[in-house]
Amino acid sequence: MKYIDYKQLNPFQKFAYNFTKFFKLLPGRVASFFKAIGRFFVRLFTGIGKGVANYVTRFIKGDFAVRLSYLIFGFGNLAKGQIIKGILFFLSEVAYVFFMVFFGWGNLSKFGTLGTEASREMEVDGFTQTVFGDNSMLILLYSVVTIAVTALVLVIYIANTKSAAKLQQLKSEGKHIMTFKEEMKDFLDGKFHVTMLSLPVVLISVFTIMPLVFMILIAFTNFNKQHMPPGTLFTWVGFENFADLVSVTSGGKRGVTFIELTKWTIVWAIFATFTNYILGMIVALMINKKGIKLKALWRTLFVITIAVPQFVSLLMMNQMLQVNGAINVLLSEITGTEVAIQFLNSTPLMARVTVIVINCWVGIPYTILSASGILMNIPADLYESARIDGAGPVKQFTKITLPYMLFVTAPSLITQFVGNINNFNVIYLLTGGGPSTEQFYQAGYTDILVTWLFKLTMSQQDYDLAAAIGILVFIVCATLSLIVFNMSKSAKDEEAFS
Amino acid sequence: MKKIIAGVLAVMMMTAAFAGCSNSGTASSSSAQGSAVAADESSLFGDEDNIKLKVWGPDKSVDLLKKQCDAFIAKYPDKTISIDVVAQGENDAATQLLNDASTAADVFGLPSDQLNKLVNAKVIQKVATSFLDDVKANNEENVVKAGTVDDTLYAFPETADNGYYLVYDKSVIKEGDEAKLETVLEDCKAAGRKFIMSAGDGFYACMFVFTGGCQTAGLEEDGLTQKFSDYDETEVISTMQAFSKLFHDYSGTFQSLEVSNISSGFASGTCGAGIDGTWDSASNQAALGDNYGAAKLPTINVNGEDKQIVSMFGYKYIGVNAASQFPRASQILANYLTSEECQVQRAEELGWGPSNKAAASSDVVTKSATIKAVLEQAKHSVAQADLADQFWDPMGNLGNKLIAENTDPTNADYMKTLLEDTLANIKDV
Repeated sequence: MKYIDYKQLNPFQKFAYNFTKFFKLLPGRVASFFKAIGRFFVRLFTGIGKGVANYVTRFIKGDFAVRLSYLIFGFGNLAKGQIIKGILFFLSEVAYVFFMVFFGWGNLSKFGTLGTEASREMEVDGFTQTVFGDNSMLILLYSVVTIAVTALVLVIYIANTKSAAKLQQLKSEGKHIMTFKEEMKDFLDGKFHVTMLSLPVVLISVFTIMPLVFMILIAFTNFNKQHMPPGTLFTWVGFENFADLVSVTSGGKRGVTFIELTKWTIVWAIFATFTNYILGMIVALMINKKGIKLKALWRTLFVITIAVPQFVSLLMMNQMLQVNGAINVLLSEITGTEVAIQFLNSTPLMARVTVIVINCWVGIPYTILSASGILMNIPADLYESARIDGAGPVKQFTKITLPYMLFVTAPSLITQFVGNINNFNVIYLLTGGGPSTEQFYQAGYTDILVTWLFKLTMSQQDYDLAAAIGILVFIVCATLSLIVFNMSKSAKDEEAFS
Repeated sequence: MKKIIAGVLAVMMMTAAFAGCSNSGTASSSSAQGSAVAADESSLFGDEDNIKLKVWGPDKSVDLLKKQCDAFIAKYPDKTISIDVVAQGENDAATQLLNDASTAADVFGLPSDQLNKLVNAKVIQKVATSFLDDVKANNEENVVKAGTVDDTLYAFPETADNGYYLVYDKSVIKEGDEAKLETVLEDCKAAGRKFIMSAGDGFYACMFVFTGGCQTAGLEEDGLTQKFSDYDETEVISTMQAFSKLFHDYSGTFQSLEVSNISSGFASGTCGAGIDGTWDSASNQAALGDNYGAAKLPTINVNGEDKQIVSMFGYKYIGVNAASQFPRASQILANYLTSEECQVQRAEELGWGPSNKAAASSDVVTKSATIKAVLEQAKHSVAQADLADQFWDPMGNLGNKLIAENTDPTNADYMKTLLEDTLANIKDV
């Protein structure tokens, strides 16, 4: 369609056109997203290939000391006079050998089976005692630790060979070889980024990435209440848990539950995000309007709801919405008859609407805060010239305010959307997943995927299933947010409003 | 260091001995008996000495447990024993034990429904053969049965009071009316008061099917799948219908709320009666004062026949960690802590209903209206043991559906599907 044709459409046709265009383009975008992932892996493997090639050439070109450093860490440095660095390299090798002998290998060797020796009971004079065998969970956990340590040592090893080759080159060129002191000084100068970033990297690896790897691996095991360490062993089952989740026919209710809850999770995330966004913006606009008195007061009043911790307001709401809660009592007093509305416990629709409405209460103040800041930032001359050109308030809103707002807040809108997919507090504290139903496996009508995951782990010990759900949720969230962010104006046209 | 410990122990023994003297005649005679037994039991320790034990009990009971442990140490002067009592909720105890048995307590309290998990994970010791006969003979049959998995008793019975019963305001429910659910509801309605129970909670909702005859009966061989007793389906369905109809007929009077609303309802004069558990008896008594009434659950009229409502009933046990360094000492301590003497102390100081037959007939117990009502209801109950993890939510859902406004109590087909779906969900591992 040409631009001139587009301009002649009425607003509804324009919307329909854009709507269909969005969905026509979507498959292409998803495909390019996966292509990008593919390219990443290609780059990764060519990088590794190059690394290996360099590793081999370094060995071929190296002198005796360099070649020996391939076996004994730090030998190249020692031979060229870098005593302290050489010793440190060597110590890391010794430490690694000790680590593997006394701890790592014992676990890593059982990684393939996750243990074979079950616990058994021993009885003496009628007193029993359990002799514990292999503990699959600990084997898995320690194997992950061992692999991480091995990866670290591999990095040190490569650095050691590189350093040895570099020293050989420097020596042959007759250049100065840095002393240990000089190298340490370099960490405050040329390599300052290493000094600054090493601590965060280490902390993230230990406290985020390693647990994450452990959890991801659990999704491929049968770690559930039938296989509970230390009494019983669990082992690898491949993609069985994922198959359980997507199969609707196998008789179990897990598949149906997963699909129904996914639908509701997405509906919930859309409504929760956009009701907050739109209503918050409207309130911010009203407060921001010229001629409104006591602006600071209104703003403060709305922001006070933030001062009350979210979980407190949610639990209060839960109490207020009960059959004998404040809201029903109030309605009874006003109407004079006994009102007993079951907000959270009757039909699914009622409960879901209630949840979305209550979520406005906890969410809108945040939008007001950020929106009023942005609104005050829009250059007043834009509005002025629009007025001179004859634009009314609605036109001004759709042509200036909304594009500006969307441009600035698109990234935060995406985070909010993802946050709402995983919005545990609101659902769990407000309804606990209810109203309950016999159609789902251990879930109610307002349960979203994360709250279901929580129930599965906490009351059912279905750790394997829960881990699989977690991975699927992560994939959905990551894909959605990357695609939508790349499509947004903020990413494509960064300079638009500057 | 050893000298100091020995000194402290000596002082403790002295005080224990003098405490015995200062008491009345009966107490000293029983302590004399105790020491005679102690000499026998010392051989049970085997070669264990320098014993260090850790004991977990719920917060409220820690002070009493410490006292009882001190008495235990004093019983065996020829052994060096030190016991560390730590507060740990009974439900969490099982979870902690499953996480890492080697750092968990040697001796711990647990409710009956956690037992299966621990047995499956092999982290709990069997009751030693030396104590088995005594424990079986001295405790109520049901308690022993609920602590038994695969014909093996795994824990020492501690209490038999973890159940619910009818609490009512004597000024609202006329005398004799507390026997029937119909009259209880009628009296509440007449007085403009509410009848409160937590029908959406599986712990209470299971009464709707239990009363009809569909009751839990242990687990399948896999130790996970729930089994049910043989039952007459039409009977179960008509019982469910009777409950549902009654709740719909008295829809303004009947309210399904968390049980904590009962005591606050009594205090504010809005609640006439309710189904509540032992743990709330103190606050209910405080709210009602002299009008406090407690009775076994009432009957319900199903097709012209008054049926006793059958409830779920839990027990508490003291178990021994299978990873304990001192398995013998731990067993002896657990046995001591569940003895008649200790159970009576618990009834006196904490109001816990004893499982020991002799303790159950002591004055403290027979004088308490609450414990009497609970022990009466225990006769019409199903043990809260051998339950699948999936039991609670589907049962709660069944309760929710029975009381829902849009449910038609006369629709037998709906009740049938509801029952079938619920049982299928419970059996879905």
